[in-house]
Amino acid sequence: MISSNRILTKILTVTLFVCTTLTVTGTMLVPIFTLKLNHKINPRMVTIGKFDGVHPCLTAATQAGKVFIHNPHARGQRPATHRLSQSAQDSDISLLNINQAVSCLTAGTLGPNTTGDTLLVGSQTNLLAYDVHDNADIFYREVDGANAIVLGKLGDIQSPLAIIGGNCALQGFDYEGNDQFWTVTGDNVRSLVLCDFTGDGKNELLVGSEDFDIRVFKEDELVSEMAENETVTSLCHMHGSRFGYALANGTVGVYDRTARYWRIKSKNHAMSIHAFDLNADGVVELITGWSNGKIDARSDRTGEVIFKDNFSSSVAGVVEGDYRLDGQKQLICTSIEGEVRGYLPASKELKGNLMDSSVEQDLVRELSQRRQNLLLELRNYEENHSNTVTLPQGVSDTDSGMGVIPANTQLQTALSVRPATEAQKAHIELSISTPNETIIRAVLIFAEGIFEGESHVVHPSAQNLSGCVRVPIVPPKDIPVDLHIKAFIGGKNSIQFHVFEITRQLPRFSMYDFTVDPSAAPPTGRVSFSINDRPQRVVMWLTQNFLLPEGIDSPNITFTSLRGRGLLSINMASNGQITLSTDDIDLAGDLVQSLASFLGVEDLSAEADFPGYFEELRTTLTEVDEFHSVHQKLTAAMADHSNYIRNMLVQAEDARLMGDMTTMKKRYRELYDLNRDLINEYKIRSNNHSALLARLKSVNQAIQRAGRLRGRPACVCVCVCKIHSNNVFPSVTERNAAFWVTRL
Amino acid sequence: MEIHLNRVDYMQVGVTSQKTMRLLPAMGKKATQKVAIADHDGVLTCFGMKKGEAVPVFKTLPGPKISRLDLGGAVGTPQEKIFVCSGSEVRGFTKKGKQFLTFEANLTESINAMHVSGADLFVCASYIYNHYCDCKDQDYYLSGDKINDITCLSTEKLPHLVPVLACQDRVLRVLQGSELLYDIEVPGPPSVLELYNKDGGESGEDVLYGTADGKIGLIQIGESSAVPKWEIDNDKKKGGILCIDTYDILGDGVSDILVGRDDGTVEVFGLDSSGEPTSRFEHVLSESVTSVQGGCVGKEGYDEGIPASLSSGWVTGLTTEALKAEAGPGDEVKMSKETQSKVAALRAELEQLQVKVLQGREKYQQSSQSSTAVSAVPVFSINDKFTLCQDDASYSLTLEVQTAIDNLLLQSDVPIDLLDVDKNSAVVSFSECDSEPNGNFLLATYRCQANTTRLELKVRSIEGQYGTLQAYITPRLQPKTCQVRQYQIKPLSLHQRTHSIDQDRPMNRLSLVGQFSFAEIHSWVVFCLPEVPEKTPAGDSITFHFHNTFLGTQLEASYCKGEGHFRSDNISTISILSDVLSKEATKRKINLNISYDINDESVSHTLKMIHPKLEYQLLLAKKVQLIDALKELQVHEGNADFLIPEYRNILDESAHLLEEYKKQPAHLERLYGMITDLFIDKFKFKGQNVKTKVSSLLEILDNYDLTSLLNFFVEA
Repeated sequence: MISSNRILTKILTVTLFVCTTLTVTGTMLVPIFTLKLNHKINPRMVTIGKFDGVHPCLTAATQAGKVFIHNPHARGQRPATHRLSQSAQDSDISLLNINQAVSCLTAGTLGPNTTGDTLLVGSQTNLLAYDVHDNADIFYREVDGANAIVLGKLGDIQSPLAIIGGNCALQGFDYEGNDQFWTVTGDNVRSLVLCDFTGDGKNELLVGSEDFDIRVFKEDELVSEMAENETVTSLCHMHGSRFGYALANGTVGVYDRTARYWRIKSKNHAMSIHAFDLNADGVVELITGWSNGKIDARSDRTGEVIFKDNFSSSVAGVVEGDYRLDGQKQLICTSIEGEVRGYLPASKELKGNLMDSSVEQDLVRELSQRRQNLLLELRNYEENHSNTVTLPQGVSDTDSGMGVIPANTQLQTALSVRPATEAQKAHIELSISTPNETIIRAVLIFAEGIFEGESHVVHPSAQNLSGCVRVPIVPPKDIPVDLHIKAFIGGKNSIQFHVFEITRQLPRFSMYDFTVDPSAAPPTGRVSFSINDRPQRVVMWLTQNFLLPEGIDSPNITFTSLRGRGLLSINMASNGQITLSTDDIDLAGDLVQSLASFLGVEDLSAEADFPGYFEELRTTLTEVDEFHSVHQKLTAAMADHSNYIRNMLVQAEDARLMGDMTTMKKRYRELYDLNRDLINEYKIRSNNHSALLARLKSVNQAIQRAGRLRGRPACVCVCVCKIHSNNVFPSVTERNAAFWVTRL
Repeated sequence: MEIHLNRVDYMQVGVTSQKTMRLLPAMGKKATQKVAIADHDGVLTCFGMKKGEAVPVFKTLPGPKISRLDLGGAVGTPQEKIFVCSGSEVRGFTKKGKQFLTFEANLTESINAMHVSGADLFVCASYIYNHYCDCKDQDYYLSGDKINDITCLSTEKLPHLVPVLACQDRVLRVLQGSELLYDIEVPGPPSVLELYNKDGGESGEDVLYGTADGKIGLIQIGESSAVPKWEIDNDKKKGGILCIDTYDILGDGVSDILVGRDDGTVEVFGLDSSGEPTSRFEHVLSESVTSVQGGCVGKEGYDEGIPASLSSGWVTGLTTEALKAEAGPGDEVKMSKETQSKVAALRAELEQLQVKVLQGREKYQQSSQSSTAVSAVPVFSINDKFTLCQDDASYSLTLEVQTAIDNLLLQSDVPIDLLDVDKNSAVVSFSECDSEPNGNFLLATYRCQANTTRLELKVRSIEGQYGTLQAYITPRLQPKTCQVRQYQIKPLSLHQRTHSIDQDRPMNRLSLVGQFSFAEIHSWVVFCLPEVPEKTPAGDSITFHFHNTFLGTQLEASYCKGEGHFRSDNISTISILSDVLSKEATKRKINLNISYDINDESVSHTLKMIHPKLEYQLLLAKKVQLIDALKELQVHEGNADFLIPEYRNILDESAHLLEEYKKQPAHLERLYGMITDLFIDKFKFKGQNVKTKVSSLLEILDNYDLTSLLNFFVEA
């Protein structure tokens, strides 16, 4: 019986793949199957699960709060009850009703004794664990948003966990729905992956969030932090401690631990990344699916493209699975329009050459191109030399179209802090000037994270041309930035300009002015800690991280924040005690982290007091409370209404059956009014909910910030905050409070 | 019948102009042909292929840029003499490289098109055509617009020479002696002419032409009139035609047409039994294809091949010879011996060059210490094109550089929209703009991926807003330099020349009378409208016709000394013209007497012309909006049978609708803008300012209905 069943499956598999180009022809890798599923696929919400333990099924979220499961292997065996219903369009597809907008999903082994994989579906408010095979819910939990989900083992926790990343919070559930893991992170989580980052044989959790950071958690302890320059939208584990990442601005790249191997940027967005060994060389490649429908595979070492293909619409997800049940894993790519393509790893004959072109031709072309470049460069030098000879000595002909400039022209750049004036906001001024009569036609600055795009251009009009350009820069965050400056230098009427390329580093805390208004109120918040280092080292740190005038030799300094956040003063006592006084808790945290890493301090115990911020936090906590109670009230009201609607509907239908049209009309009119009320109430509810979420987020961030006031990845150090004496918590979400207390 | 061709690179020379590569006729028993190619460095190279390697026959010394190359020879003998033109000079070389002719044409401008036929030499500078026989001046003609190319019907089949000029104003001019015999209107500005089958076909009168907007046609040039035989449209929006050749590559006895375009496409068209062309092959190379030839260069036996020369100077072949990819037992792909030696030679050369370059760099560094030395890097060549695309009324800018482009800065002093182009892989970043005091309305940088030698951009302009778009191009070449290119955005930027206009439409008229010369008013028209020759036309007066590529309205400009008349059915066009012209005249302190003849009917006429476009766009937008919701319903219910046919129809056509919608971004907004302009302009001529009523106009547009809109225009 069993064997005959198998045969049946095989036959079905054959019929399934008839529409495909089956062979790998010529020198290029082509899909071994393509399917049109006729269902839209939500981006990033695609997975493959063996729900019966044998047959892999492509599972993806689609429109209208539904999840579809494509199971071509076992037809006609499915019951259509509970959540599952068979799609009428396509008999291979069953639909799962979630009734909420799905925000993430995954499948895998969760329970210890289950036959097949468990499907996990997250929405903005809930997490559902579902057994597709038995068609039953395993658990259904309320969560604080589920933007990303990952399933697997974390650290020393015994059972596999379904870890979801929400609004600043991370939660891990075991197969019974028990909350085994909880911690907070800096901002809304957008991507998660489990991998052995530290190489200790246990998985760490990598979290990509909207504050552009990739954080590594060893269970609930933060071990590493990598700063990127955009929201981290995807993460994937490559091998060992190597992992791939993608950002919202179209960057993809590979990290090994905390060191970035390579990255590339495209004008399109990376929708999904996945590790797969496509050229069968034993090392996985980074497969990226792009918003323009392109799929490419890049070498994990160099980022070189070894294969690409195109879909007609944006890629939704990239997964792998043995979809033909022949023992070989395929790379499966899906587009948002429901097109699915499967690729087998390259066969031996292809020799890793997956592109449709011949190697030798490419090599010759590349070498010739290099030769051409060298020849052109040589020509530049030769003609430059002959020009130098022919031109009369000492005469600089800056007005010819060729853009002749004195050979000793050097570009001078200077950074200075400019406090706010009436005409201009406070900024850092980058001044670029030439020492002679040449002019600067335009300045391009490429830098990450401080401009709207990746570049900033200054292009003076023809009448405003001069040898000096001042560029105001306002970095939005305290991050060290490399400014790649390209200045076009030439004469006023030149059509060709010399391009001067200079890289300047903008210090991390550049938006702080050394001059202080004596009337400004001193900051009330402070953090203090002791170090065993000479004051000179601290001064060194100061000169590296602040824009300071020459000749500063004492670490006791006061700055004015150009972002309007009051004063910052740094004091070092003779016993090595450093006090940072500021009202900005974020800044204090950044300073502590920066100083600790500069001095190489592993553990640092700090004492902090931020009365203003804690007051704010207290109000926030009270507000959270209020919103909670409003939420409960509204939920009760809604339940009332829905009962009322049910009654009204029955009455109206009764009236219709009785032929009493006036009553029916009246009832329906009432129903209409009620409906309108409900919609209004819903709006209030959703406003209330988003306000609540905002507050909860700030509470989570407060925990994170307090953590940062401690030293480098410290865990044993204690931060004594006055706040723990305030017992406002019990009324708030108990868990937050509990955590708060334990950590402080 | 489809053919499959593989790419082989033969050789690289300097940057090349259009039509500067030819194949010499095969000699004796040898089947392979030699290639003659001339480049911008002034070098004429003649080479043959031996065992996969290019073996030069001769190479001339560098000199001024060579703009054309042609083959000639006494009538009846093999055409194997090579003629090149540079500046106003024509030189002739034998196939061995011996120079036998130097001829100074004594033109003030440099020659940009040339044709050689027996003892007759035809050359064209921008507007001038000259015919020499045995280097003696014969005929002369001054064309109304720039001459792009020239050919001459062969003398073998016809009693006398018939030169044909391809002129920028969308006309082919057929000459007889120094006189114009007649002209032929073609659908776009012709960029290249070639005799069909190299001798004009059976009748000797068939001429192939290609246009700058990508169309190809065959025309029979008769005694007194021309008969168009066929025309291939450019539906897929490929690049403009740069070169054409005829060669029987399919081996079916009928000559096929080989075409090279400026976006790197090489195409082969075969003629079917009824003489209609069909596409047989297409290959996309990385840069503009400046010349294409059919013949046999590589190996004997594989006697079909298309050597094509790219603008960067590559001579590339497309051959029917299958490229053998020998996969050896080892891990590395075994290369053929030929390639191996080629690679080794290249590597050796590279090493030598590297040493030289290092020396050069050092010297350059040293010179920067000296206070008297100057640094002047030679100008690199940029191949650029800024053209109006008729079907989406936007400008496309293409830039090509010989080496990889590092970055591009775009700056504009007029508000324009930069559109995304799929082909373009560069990362674009928009910078904050300060319109005061630096007058920037667009500052964008393109950071290019490695090996990008060609960039394509799209720009959308607004009529009435005029200024300059500047592109600063920085290639990846040491010492780093950048070059600026300027492109004018004219006040009536969306207009295009046409041959005639519909005289039955209600027209508005703008008349100017004043103390201005013919040249002055011509320069104003050049300032306002694209595609007008810069040279003042011969004669006392001139009339040009234009149509608006976006709305389909028309404009007639006719003017002479002291007087100018502009007629258009679009009142906004008249308004823009009157603004700009009076401003220009004031600049030169010329008193203008401006009078208008406004036809109120023209406004409703224009609105009616916009109506179908607007209605279509509105309907499209509405349908597209519904698609997602309908799909959701379909998924929910399992099928779409319950929907009314109209909705079911939307679902069925959803893919097509979305595609249409994507093709024309912001089309609706543009139409709204034009209607608003029309409204303001209509009342401007009545002396009323109606800017306050614009909001109510927009309200009407939001609930669009033609009659209510017409009423509003009348009542307001």
